[in-house]
Amino acid sequence: MAVDNIPPIVHTQLNYLINHSPYSIKVEQMWSGSKNPGLLDRFTLAIPFCLDYIKWDVIYNAQFPLLAPDIIFGPEDESFRPYPSGREGELKSKNSLSDWNCKDPTRLLSLIHELRSLYMVYQKKRVAEVDDERLKFEISTMYSREGIEMYMSSGVDKPEEVKLAVPLLEMDLNKLVAGSTWRHQQKIYLQVVYPVSRKYLAVASAPRLKLISSPELKALFSIDEFRLPPWLDGMCMAEYLPTLEEMLESQIRDAVSSIETRRKFITTMAIPFGRPLEADPIFCRKATFLACSGVFTFLVHVSLPLQFPRQQPALMLQSSQHFHTHSGNAPIKSAILQDYPWSPRWDVSRMADRIFDYLVEECLNFKKHCNEVILQQR
Amino acid sequence: MSSDSMEVVTDFQFLPSFSKPAENCKLSAMDDISLQKIQISGPTLASLIQRVSSSAGDVDGLLFGRVTHITPLTLSDDSSSSAVDTTSDQPTLVATVTSFFSSASTSTFYSPSGELHAPSLNDLLSTSSSDDRLIGWFSGRRKTHLRPSMRESSVTAALASNFQLSSQIQNSPKSHTFPPSIFLLLTTPFRDQLIHTHEYKAFQFRSSTDSFEPKTLDVVNLGPAFRGHYGNFTPNSRFPDLPFEVKGLNSESMVEDEGRDENEKFGSLCDEGFKIGRLKNLMGSEAASYTAELEGLYYNMLKKMNGLAKLVEQSSARVLEQENHNMKLRYKVAGFE
Repeated sequence: MAVDNIPPIVHTQLNYLINHSPYSIKVEQMWSGSKNPGLLDRFTLAIPFCLDYIKWDVIYNAQFPLLAPDIIFGPEDESFRPYPSGREGELKSKNSLSDWNCKDPTRLLSLIHELRSLYMVYQKKRVAEVDDERLKFEISTMYSREGIEMYMSSGVDKPEEVKLAVPLLEMDLNKLVAGSTWRHQQKIYLQVVYPVSRKYLAVASAPRLKLISSPELKALFSIDEFRLPPWLDGMCMAEYLPTLEEMLESQIRDAVSSIETRRKFITTMAIPFGRPLEADPIFCRKATFLACSGVFTFLVHVSLPLQFPRQQPALMLQSSQHFHTHSGNAPIKSAILQDYPWSPRWDVSRMADRIFDYLVEECLNFKKHCNEVILQQR
Repeated sequence: MSSDSMEVVTDFQFLPSFSKPAENCKLSAMDDISLQKIQISGPTLASLIQRVSSSAGDVDGLLFGRVTHITPLTLSDDSSSSAVDTTSDQPTLVATVTSFFSSASTSTFYSPSGELHAPSLNDLLSTSSSDDRLIGWFSGRRKTHLRPSMRESSVTAALASNFQLSSQIQNSPKSHTFPPSIFLLLTTPFRDQLIHTHEYKAFQFRSSTDSFEPKTLDVVNLGPAFRGHYGNFTPNSRFPDLPFEVKGLNSESMVEDEGRDENEKFGSLCDEGFKIGRLKNLMGSEAASYTAELEGLYYNMLKKMNGLAKLVEQSSARVLEQENHNMKLRYKVAGFE
């Protein structure tokens, strides 16, 4: 998108929104509503909500950029009235639009923020109106938990479902890892999807459960490898959640302590290989060493899996002397090496030594491979 | 066609200011009656679409017209069907949009959060010379979804719940009133298309359910196919009363105007009326002199029309110039240079 084509007032507000929002809001598309296209004055925002995105169109008027924007909500949300008009003479409550000041760059953010919380209330109200005994019970047991987002999905060709995003673990994950550079608050949620059943069933069907974490958390802990405890017949959320949280918490504590194991391994690697050229200091997942065999100089990229030391590190060699002439002079790299002698029971210095021994042999193969590639290129 | 329907509106009433307390101060459930359909004449819809498509950006404005109670046609040759036909308590209502008012920008009569601004709305209503009542409003915005926006919902809800703006339903056996609850939305498709250039949808806002009900927008046209349909439709002519309304006729800027005499002659013809009886003189021996008189009258009329057309052209050019100037000023304020 060309910055020149956005009215400056709109641009500063949108920029502020994107850079200062507590959750990551994306601009999906921008277009013009003027007769002569040119000034981009409307855009679609994808706003995270209940582990999904809600898409709202923000409509400014390029001809009158000082006026407050208008919002068009999704097609399913026609009954969402964030600012209901009071009867004449009634005191109107203030909202983000009532004293719009176009020169204030924070206004769009506070408007979207306010609308999102009103939307949360609106969805909660819709869910509360659903006539399903089990659902009513489940929600009543979870009232004490803070920050649960709910979404009532209904449509012509969609089954009626209630989605819940239950934030798990009260601890602040950002503070667990020393020196983490996460900009957004890291959180793990349990997504619970209840199919709505209007008739009474003796045994209610199990809700669909899925663990979802903020994307950056995968550097520390992999949600995909976590096995959800089984859902037993007749169970309810109030029984399920404490077990789940307990398991999750112990695994996360393990994940945090495994950072130290990896750090120790990288430091030990420095004994045979020399100081690493580059290493990931926060999660200790990656390190690169410079090595040579005779005059053949190459880099060793070591990437450490989350299951280290149970799973061995993946190695990759990169020549400093051989390059692909066709594809932009990229250095020649080896395949990923993951099949070398390894035992998780070795102590770290033994691990480092064994990798060193393995590479003394393997680098000769790699050198041969490099030379072959160079020959083929001639 | 009723004879009074074609009558030129000579006296115009101002709408009663809605700051006066209305007699019926309670919005009863009976006042929230579902419309059967919304009618609009071809020319009115065409000029509305023209207004939206010629504007530089988004526009909105007020819709005027009337709401009429119609007796549903229940006559049938088949006697068995009359038993099935139940006359409901709800009267059958048809709204007719006869004119609209739109200013150069949006947000002229409401706040950013969609509350009505009574003084501005009052001003708009009192300057409109139509004797039709406010029945709703419209919004035109390019390349957007064809559903009411957040602000449009608030404005429509505020208008629909404002009983002081309600108008009497015509032909109604009981004294029902109708709040200005009609909302007409005009948009254009997201991608520019050659044939499909605009979209519109009409809604009635129901205060009782707090929701928009889509309504059929019936376009009434002239022509044989619409004859039956046109019988029920009362067109509304906004032809101005010439001697008072068109100031240009007496102004000096009309270059081709030949002077006072001509004006007085035209005026007297308007005042006294060119009696139908005199047309009889066109037959027979004295026809020649009367033909000349009639031709003279037409000639003068044409001249005046010409002068008027020129005046309109010049003032339009000036309006355009001023609009462009205003736009430049607005851009300056908004930080463009």
